[in-house]
Amino acid sequence: MTTNTNENRALIWKALSWFDVRWRAPGTWAFALNRITALGLALYLSIHLVVLSTLATGKDAYQAFLDAVNMPVIHFGSYLVVVAGIYHGLNGLRIALTSFGIAVRYQKPIFAGILLFTIIVSLYVFLQMFHII
Amino acid sequence: MDRAISQPKPGETTWLWLLKLVTGVLVVLILGTHLIVQHLVSPEGLLTFEQVVEWVSNPWVALMEGTFLVLAVCHALMGVRSVLLDLRPSQGAIRIIDITFLIVGVVAIGYGFWLLRAIQAHGVG
Repeated sequence: MTTNTNENRALIWKALSWFDVRWRAPGTWAFALNRITALGLALYLSIHLVVLSTLATGKDAYQAFLDAVNMPVIHFGSYLVVVAGIYHGLNGLRIALTSFGIAVRYQKPIFAGILLFTIIVSLYVFLQMFHII
Repeated sequence: MDRAISQPKPGETTWLWLLKLVTGVLVVLILGTHLIVQHLVSPEGLLTFEQVVEWVSNPWVALMEGTFLVLAVCHALMGVRSVLLDLRPSQGAIRIIDITFLIVGVVAIGYGFWLLRAIQAHGVG
């Protein structure tokens, strides 16, 4: 019983250790970011589906939802969803390509390009969403 | 990183792994249109009620949003299942996860299509 518990703890610790990216290769960074954004987006999808039920209720309920979305905290949460979506989508395309043996040798520069693109677009979206430009 | 190529993991069939990849690529393609129309075209960042009703009442749009819903739900559930598989669950636990996710998927997709129809109904008459 104790052995099983220890084994389970070791497995869970091993799975969680993927998220400890200190001193790790770019592949671990790509994986950890992919996982974190995936879990965030899955959570968002479920909330998104539930919240959109206001559309079925009618115009007033939907307007109340729009007012809530404009609250700073929720607005910032929406921004994080966009950033996560950009990274997860692009990194997913990289994974799909390399899974079929395409551009495997160029994984590191592609990953670096994805990070750079995500940062630049995220900055632009931030300026747009928060009406700075 | 050169050897870090995605492949099926224990408890994940090749078909399921392939389906996760394909749905992911398709979600990215449709998400572009979905985000641009729903959030970038509108000056306030979100469509008004009337704009949503008009948008969804277009049968091609409804088809696109419906397809997006199915792909996104399937990809999300297969992705979360893949994360759970890393915890090396027992065969019994995998079975419970599969049944639960199947029910969640069917309910989410059914609810999504009901929602599409309910929004379209606001534009009738």
